Amino acid sequence: MTGAAGASDVPVPPPAEGQAVTRERAVGGRLAGLGQYAGFLPALVLYGVFFVAPLALIVAYSFWQTVDYNVVHDWTLDNYRYFFSVPTYLRTFWATIWVSVAATAITILIAFPFTYWLVRYVPRRIQGLLLVLVILPFWTSYLLRVYSWLNILGDRGAINRFLEWVHITDGPVSLFLYDRPAVILVLVYLYFPFAALTLYASLERFDWNQFKAAMDLGAPPRTAIVRILLPQMRTGITTAIIFVFIPILGEYLAPQLVGGTRGVMIGNLIVNFFSGGQYTRGAAAALLIAGLIVALLIVFRRSLEVEDPYRA
Amino acid sequence: MPLSEGRLNRADLLKLGAAGAIGLTAAGPALGRTFTRQATTLNMLTWSDHYANDQLKAVAKATALQGRPTLFSDNSDAYLKIKQTGSQFDIVSGDALWVPKYLKDGLTESFDLSSLPVSKQLYPIARQFPFWKDGSNYMGYPFSWSTVQIYYNPKYVKVKPDSWHAILDRKYAGKISLENLPTDVMAIAGLATGTKKPYSMSTAEISRAKGYLKALKPNVLKLASQNNEVIRALADGSAWIGITNLGSDDRVKDAGGPVVKQSYPKEGTVGFIDSEQIVKASKNKTSFERFQNAMQQAPWIAKNFITNGRPLFNEKAYKLLVNQGHGDRATRLLYNQPEKALKMTIKGPAGDEQAYLDAFNEVFGA
Repeated sequence: MTGAAGASDVPVPPPAEGQAVTRERAVGGRLAGLGQYAGFLPALVLYGVFFVAPLALIVAYSFWQTVDYNVVHDWTLDNYRYFFSVPTYLRTFWATIWVSVAATAITILIAFPFTYWLVRYVPRRIQGLLLVLVILPFWTSYLLRVYSWLNILGDRGAINRFLEWVHITDGPVSLFLYDRPAVILVLVYLYFPFAALTLYASLERFDWNQFKAAMDLGAPPRTAIVRILLPQMRTGITTAIIFVFIPILGEYLAPQLVGGTRGVMIGNLIVNFFSGGQYTRGAAAALLIAGLIVALLIVFRRSLEVEDPYRA
Repeated sequence: MPLSEGRLNRADLLKLGAAGAIGLTAAGPALGRTFTRQATTLNMLTWSDHYANDQLKAVAKATALQGRPTLFSDNSDAYLKIKQTGSQFDIVSGDALWVPKYLKDGLTESFDLSSLPVSKQLYPIARQFPFWKDGSNYMGYPFSWSTVQIYYNPKYVKVKPDSWHAILDRKYAGKISLENLPTDVMAIAGLATGTKKPYSMSTAEISRAKGYLKALKPNVLKLASQNNEVIRALADGSAWIGITNLGSDDRVKDAGGPVVKQSYPKEGTVGFIDSEQIVKASKNKTSFERFQNAMQQAPWIAKNFITNGRPLFNEKAYKLLVNQGHGDRATRLLYNQPEKALKMTIKGPAGDEQAYLDAFNEVFGA
């Protein structure tokens, strides 16, 4: 207070007219500068309400505790400490990552030759029809699509019936269902359209004359694919990987229905936490997965950077 | 609307959208009144075996009370939904000791059971469960009950598994199916390891129960998200043993499966006694009694038994079933012995739900 009073004692010259006008202009300019961002307001509100606020809530929950079905706002690291101290969760995280990697790799390995064949050898008027067939399963519910695999892989399923019909087996073989291979198979089936459509969009834009030129210059087809085609498809392949890998990391329904106790993924344990009212534990586990996804997106970001064609 | 050369630009589209939204908001209540024709909708949070669609239609026609069900999987799931959503639901179904918890936590309201004429159709014992009494009031309308026991396929399981320990035998590796209900599975494991109060286990008891589940895990084919998946696994032969509700033998048979037999483990088992409760925050509390009075009539309950095959508490419906030629099945499934419901360990919230869930997840994780 003393200082303030002292300061007021110091005579300050009134601002010159020109200075006041300049300041007003500066303020006006700043407001006008802000005004140019007004168009972002709907997006900001949308992101704020539907992304930032729920995410902030999950982050807060992950540092709170649950006591008798009530979330108690006592800040603690216990939930995270718990996950890193119990080997089951680390094993389940690891299993989730490798199942996701395997399913993504197989999906891309199947989708790439398919889209290559589609773009290169199928007449353009039929390409659209085949693409519709690829996305046709989306017209039915996700649950039905997973359930249908029970009818294919189950003890009384199509595969077992066929094996018995051709006398390869005498009775049902319980090898095809309720284990990790079944989970991977169903995940590949579920996410194939995402990969195929993304790769198709990328391949369709490829200038095949470059490919032909490489071959004219003596490159065998494999070399032309590896050295000419794939480098130019890097963005498409990375996008396909993101579209497939990230949703698979959070999968819980497919492992629940076809994985059995040997096909459990981290999503299944998170669901147990939430359905049992243990929101704080569930939030922490969900955030660990989200953290992994963010880390992967940072890694993938470099692959998504497109070179500026107009750069000097 | 000034449209530039007959085309819609972005500004026009936004204006049209805003005008449409305002119009719909303003007209909404009026439209709603027109379409609902004064019928009151009662939002029910319940299990799929508590109603039939034709029953809801008939009740709506007779009472102008339209039941609109939302399903839940586990008691804790429903409890949390009611806690979070408040007045969005009017009726919630709940199991045994969950019912007093709802009331104690101020989520439901007790009522005078005798004020519902249909309650006279109940077995007397169902009107006097001590754990549902709230002074002269009752906490919920008694609906159905069942023990959770072992069903086995005698083609593969030669010796009747009369104990929870019998199903630990490695010859049943990957051949047991049960529902993914962590608290109840932990309670069963508690019973198997000699716990007296399986829903209030101490840390040492939880640890023993966890040990039992670890031994059981290699034999578990899958933890089913719904009971019908257990039935399906028994029916298609992928599971030889199912841990499931009364009447599962009939349901397996109806699904085209083999004959399965029932075994009641000597350590005892858990089971449910479920009810319909009034949600305290509901705006339609006064309609509860009229609605239940129509929903719980004996013909509907008898029909429910035929579809779902587990005992209910409506005595008049049992007599109807006997008259309709379903007496043998009803008797076999203990419909006429409601006192047996009190001999099992009834379901309730866990003393320390987090410890139960942690133990369960630690066993059934990868």
